[in-house]
Amino acid sequence: MNAPVTPPRPVALGQSHVSAGNALELRGITKMFGALAAISDVTLSVRPGERRAVLGSNGAGKTTLFNCITGDFLPTTGLIRFFGEDVTTFPPHERIRRGLRRTYQISSLFAGLSVIDNVYLACRGVSRNRFSLIRPRRDDALVHAAETLVEAVHLTAEKDRLVGELAYGQQRQLEIALALSGAPRFILFDEPAAGLSPTERRDLVSILTTLPTHIGYIIIEHDMDVALRVVESVTMMHNGRIFKEGRPEEIEDDPEVQELYLGGGHE
Amino acid sequence: MAMTDQAPRFVNRADQKLWFERIPAPWWALAVVLVFLPVVANSFWLFQVMGWTFILGMIGLSLMFLAGYGGMVSLLQMTVAGVAGYMVAILGTSGTVTVSLGLVWWIVIPAAFLIAALFATISGALAVRTEGIYTIMITLAIAAAFFYFTRQNYTIFNGYSGFNLVLPPQLFGVNWREPVPFYYLSLVLAALSYGAVVYVSRSPFGLALQGVRDNPRRMAALGFNVTAHRVAAYALASVFASAGGILLVWQNAQIAPGTIGMSAAIDVLVVAVVGGMRRPLGPFIGAFIYVLLQVFSPDILGFFGFSAERFKLIIGLGFLAVVLFSPDGVLGLWDRWRARRRQQGGQAGGGVA
Amino acid sequence: MDDIIKRNPLRSLIIAILIAVFLWLVFAPWPPELVAKWGRKQIFLNALLGGITLGALYFLVAAGFTLIFGLMRVVNLAHGSLFLLGGYLGYEISSLTGSWFIAFPVVFLVVGLLGLLMQRFIFSKMEGEELRQTLVSIGISIVLADLMLWLWGGQSYSILAPGFLTGPMELPIINSINASTGATNWLRYPAVRVWILIAAIVIGVAMWLVLNRTALGMLIRAGVDDREMLAASGVRIQLVFLAVFGFGAGLAGMAGIIGGTFQSLSPGEDTRFLLASLVVVIVGGMGSIVGAAIGSLIIGVTEQMGFVYAPTYSVVFTFLIMAAVLAFRPQGLLGARR
Ligand SMILES: Nc1ncnc2c1ncn2[C@@H]1O[C@H](COP(=O)(O)OP(=O)(O)OP(=O)(O)O)[C@@H](O)[C@H]1O
Ligand SMILES: [Mg+2]
Repeated sequence: MNAPVTPPRPVALGQSHVSAGNALELRGITKMFGALAAISDVTLSVRPGERRAVLGSNGAGKTTLFNCITGDFLPTTGLIRFFGEDVTTFPPHERIRRGLRRTYQISSLFAGLSVIDNVYLACRGVSRNRFSLIRPRRDDALVHAAETLVEAVHLTAEKDRLVGELAYGQQRQLEIALALSGAPRFILFDEPAAGLSPTERRDLVSILTTLPTHIGYIIIEHDMDVALRVVESVTMMHNGRIFKEGRPEEIEDDPEVQELYLGGGHE
Repeated sequence: MAMTDQAPRFVNRADQKLWFERIPAPWWALAVVLVFLPVVANSFWLFQVMGWTFILGMIGLSLMFLAGYGGMVSLLQMTVAGVAGYMVAILGTSGTVTVSLGLVWWIVIPAAFLIAALFATISGALAVRTEGIYTIMITLAIAAAFFYFTRQNYTIFNGYSGFNLVLPPQLFGVNWREPVPFYYLSLVLAALSYGAVVYVSRSPFGLALQGVRDNPRRMAALGFNVTAHRVAAYALASVFASAGGILLVWQNAQIAPGTIGMSAAIDVLVVAVVGGMRRPLGPFIGAFIYVLLQVFSPDILGFFGFSAERFKLIIGLGFLAVVLFSPDGVLGLWDRWRARRRQQGGQAGGGVA
Repeated sequence: MDDIIKRNPLRSLIIAILIAVFLWLVFAPWPPELVAKWGRKQIFLNALLGGITLGALYFLVAAGFTLIFGLMRVVNLAHGSLFLLGGYLGYEISSLTGSWFIAFPVVFLVVGLLGLLMQRFIFSKMEGEELRQTLVSIGISIVLADLMLWLWGGQSYSILAPGFLTGPMELPIINSINASTGATNWLRYPAVRVWILIAAIVIGVAMWLVLNRTALGMLIRAGVDDREMLAASGVRIQLVFLAVFGFGAGLAGMAGIIGGTFQSLSPGEDTRFLLASLVVVIVGGMGSIVGAAIGSLIIGVTEQMGFVYAPTYSVVFTFLIMAAVLAFRPQGLLGARR
């Protein structure tokens, strides 16, 4: 069971274990579902502004890792720090308010609301007056912010349509807009490119590469072409464990990775 | 809970018209009818039928707000109304001088609203500890506990007999229990409640509540405290229920455990479901139907040779029919009928407003 | 067990002390100071036993309710109506035939059949629509309540217990010791209540055995834990649903006879027993038979103790227990988190 032991962190990443400087730091995270360890003993640190890919075959525990980071699940054991603060037991909304964002592998939107209302909700969620009973005016700053975001993901033409009526690719774009609301400091993208057309993929890559440099992210992506183009470091997961970390080009050439990951991906 | 509502899109509504131009003609007609009703209707209609409709509608509205926008079907709203009504009797004046404190109205009424809101908030906080269908069970249990408590407790709630001679204050020299003043009082409060729910449904809080209804996990991942929003909804809904409860105690001039019993709690649910729980207008329509049935059932039943007591049977069967065949209530039927007409009359161009 | 004590030494100690105090209160003769403070021991014992019996009755009603919910996710708010209907039918049958016993199988069959019909023709048609099912059950309860009012009127009925069940019976519990003669005065208690308790225990144990020791029970428990898996496994799940619904309904009907024998039947009892079931399963945990037993015991004893020692606040205690459970263990004492 404990075959691939976590290797010593590659020196190439220049990462020390000083916690204060990290955007995200996981120590010994394990999540059990009954007797199944979806992730076991995951230790990981990401610098502010760092962009990292998490790769692994189906069921490797990548989404579960995200769920632990955002607080959707409480980890069975382990410690999570977000910009130096111990958030292990925080409810999800407290982590979001501290600048964490995420997208969902399976779009999780408000199908009965319009595009602009979805984005407006996202902007409202990370600002004050969430309980306001006063309707926003047309010149409300948050309305503007929401419109800007809608434009950023090329959905301006659809902004008054109900989300349930959107095409699949457009819904994926909207997922990303929700994750960019407010002032994100760190974003978790869960397979944002899955099911997108080549054009939409190009748009996605350009959104990711033009994000302000202080915003770091982790991206789960099966498409190596997308993943390796937008990150500077890669973490490989298998059976709930991290078994390799390195720069994209190191990972790409690694025979073990080729066998395990590409083998697993084609099953 | 499958209660997805085509929520109003509120950000940047395209229309530039003035607010009164946006109100469709049927609404104006309805307003005119309601305002001038006292010219034609007798006091029985004004006081009993319409007064009771508005009251029941407001209490049903508070349920509609929780269920339609928040996805929480609460059987507690009659109890909240009852708490406010009881507070008016206990803090103000009543025939039971040993219990009633006899405070002035401008202390009594705000205090009644506050205490009812507190009660609703605490109960709501308990009810939101679980989700979905549990809400009905927990709120029903709390409602029952309060009912039995008022019945057995004499020091505060004067037990079985409750309070009588609870009268509205003689404000501006008007006797508000006279049919016409009471009609206008309840009409204005009902209209205000209705307007408030419509307005709030498109405010950040209302929109967030609908988000919580549809996808609580996503709302948490957007930075919303889902539990707090749910509890706050209970607090806000208590305002409409309390207004109804205070009117109710004034209309009957009395309040007793029977007012807030289980069948009353169920009646509120019936009213909201029959009218339609997705839109604020639903409960008022449901209430109107309910009151009409109640008022005229003796005649109808007598015509078929039944005793007038079989009213509940009609209500029960009608409720079953609605739940089985038109889960969205009368308004749902109306929507479907309109959709069909629009389809048919598509080319004819005859659009209904 | 040892493990639990080691992990929570303080809590275990407190529980042990409470149990010891409780046993002493029940079995030892009370010193005069205590009598001066709490009244005679007889009152305490009667309240306690009355509470346990009431709990037994609650259990018979709630067991079916919790099983139906656990397996089918149907919150059957007409469950109290089935109880009352069973009581009325039992009254009719026992006064018609003169036999109290014959009423039980007949009522079990009739009310059970009604439950079967409800499941077959209504609830199974809207599987998964929890809210709609609940609303329908409310509609059914309104209709049944009015039909029963029509047929049996507003007066209250009592079912006569057979001869051997009437009169008191001596229990091996000291009531008081006569100071002058030194003679022990044993507690006397209505025999019918003792038998109700025994019957509830027998039924409860039987249910537990069926659930835990038979193939059908395995199936039902598997269904409670994971309905999709059971449905996917090709078992004829609808038959299991029908069986459980019919059994739960029939049990509620029989409980109606018992309720009518040692209390009385009148309109309003349906809601009372529905609410008791609700509170019992909220406290005990949805879908758990053992939870229903513990919840019934707690609620029954609390209610009776409240009536005796704080008559105008007794409901508050029941409510506080429910609130505390919801606050600290929302899934109920023995409920699984869903
Ligand atoms: N809520 C849950 N309950 C039980 N088991 C779960 C749950 N969520 C995930 N799992 C299990 O945990 C393991 C890891 O799942 P996870 O979704 O994290 O994988 P993944 O790496 O994201 O896979 P994919 O590439 O398919 O998205 C799987 O075996 C899955 O079945
Ligand atoms: Mg995944």
